[in-house]
Amino acid sequence: MSQPSASLNRKAPLLSLRTVWTIARGTLTQLIRMRTFYFLLAFAGLVVAIGNFNIPETPAKELSMIKKVSFGTMDLFAWLFAIVSTALLIPRDLEDRTLYTILSKPVRRVEYLLGKLFGVLIVVGISLTVMYLLCGFMISFRESVYIAEELAAMEKDGRYSNKEIRDQIALISKHGMRPELGIAVIASFLKAAVIAVVTIFLSTFASSSLFTIIISILIFLIGHAHNMASSFWLHQSDGSMFVQQLVKVVKILIPDFQLFSFSEGIVLGEVVPYALVGQMFLLTAGYIIVFLLLSLLVFADKEF
Amino acid sequence: MSFFRQNRKLLLVLLGLVAFGVLRAPWENRLREQLVKQRLLLPPPGHTALQQMSQSALMGTLGGLRSLVATYLSLDAFGDFGEKNWDELQRKYRIICNLEPRDETHWVSVVWHIGINATAHVQYYSEEMPKYERERRFQQYCSEAIKLAEDGIKQNPKSAPIRLQLAEVYREKLKDPCNTARVYKDMLGLEGTPGYITRFYGYFLADCPGKEKEAYAYLMRLFQMGEKHHLPTLFVKIKELEEKLNVPFPRRIKTDEPERPDKPKKPSNVLPGGIVVP
Repeated sequence: MSQPSASLNRKAPLLSLRTVWTIARGTLTQLIRMRTFYFLLAFAGLVVAIGNFNIPETPAKELSMIKKVSFGTMDLFAWLFAIVSTALLIPRDLEDRTLYTILSKPVRRVEYLLGKLFGVLIVVGISLTVMYLLCGFMISFRESVYIAEELAAMEKDGRYSNKEIRDQIALISKHGMRPELGIAVIASFLKAAVIAVVTIFLSTFASSSLFTIIISILIFLIGHAHNMASSFWLHQSDGSMFVQQLVKVVKILIPDFQLFSFSEGIVLGEVVPYALVGQMFLLTAGYIIVFLLLSLLVFADKEF
Repeated sequence: MSFFRQNRKLLLVLLGLVAFGVLRAPWENRLREQLVKQRLLLPPPGHTALQQMSQSALMGTLGGLRSLVATYLSLDAFGDFGEKNWDELQRKYRIICNLEPRDETHWVSVVWHIGINATAHVQYYSEEMPKYERERRFQQYCSEAIKLAEDGIKQNPKSAPIRLQLAEVYREKLKDPCNTARVYKDMLGLEGTPGYITRFYGYFLADCPGKEKEAYAYLMRLFQMGEKHHLPTLFVKIKELEEKLNVPFPRRIKTDEPERPDKPKKPSNVLPGGIVVP
């Protein structure tokens, strides 16, 4: 008889990773059923189209263009997908009344929020990986075609030394597929993770999905532009005090999403110091923890 | 007091946001500096570039689609290339280069378009224009191409391709061997410089009035470096300089000029790398 009472008296853990994982899996299934992965077809179409553009340019420039369009689109899809899917999930759970079923079970609200966030991040992660593989295949294919063509042309010409041929091939390879490009995908993932957690925070007090989506996109655009726009506005307003103060307030309240755009440099062929990537991971973790805590503050006592 | 009690949660959230904002701001500023220093993050585009952009391009740029906007504009600029609308093409490339100043391919393209294509267009295909106007525009496009190349070199100090394109403007259009040699000299030792530039520097220096002695010494050094530099032009240039400088016969090179290999003739509209100019 003492066994059941002991188990009743045992304190439930503050956070059960198993529960979080169960909710994350459920979110993943929910998003798959919403046919979210169909946008990958559009991405594949775009990559094939851009890979077959025949513009009178050098191979290096064409490869650079394919990379920039592919990685730019990947980044765009990642943050847009993170906003839309996160904004839809909590209101949909409310509409379907799934939320009542979940919260009537021994599930803490923090576990629910974390589960939803991880579910979205898993889908974003899978999508980015598939997009990376698709564009990686296209870039490698075009790179090998260009190298073969350049080799044939230079050997036929007969005026070029082995070193000159090697230099030309190295120039094409520099703009081709490189392992560092994987870090550009990670940069897009980190950016998507931050905007997803901001969207979760907004959806805890928003009245509708549409409101959450619009405000999240607005926050994203402001967060992306404030550094660029502030120097422009300050220049336009001759360094007005009012603009300066406004810029400071915006910078404090809204995350700086432009920092997460370091994939642009990687795509252009710059070297990435891993210590910096580590710092970006830490910053993302900071955003996730703080915005989850703030979401919890609003969501904890919310009556449904 | 009742306002604070009623909106306790809202105030706490605001406080949390402000506290986090204040804490992260110095860290983010440091990170931004490091990322810009490592050339991973682009500095904000110039004010003139932002002012010249269309509303949609501006929105895209501010919204983090900077490289997509730049790529779209460079594809759009090809339309102007097809229509020989050089001023519009140049305006678009100014924006593109402001958006992505560290992508040397944009600088190379605009110098090629303005310095080679636009100049060729006014030289050979603008017969309806008075000769004086054609010559004036030719000079104007050349100077604009040079200015663009110099701006590009300021942004990418180690870029060999921009210098190569600049040298082509001096060499092919302005027939200026001194500046051609100067640009080739700048290229020596830069990563990505084609091997032939080592010789070309000497060849063009040889044609630069007043630089004959320097050119002779340089070309002789190349000659003595071994057979890999023993090419027909090297012999011709050394022999020309020997004549100009009155080098005593015993010190002149004795080897005859090697035969030039038969070179297959390329169509005139095909550039190196098989690029066909429409």
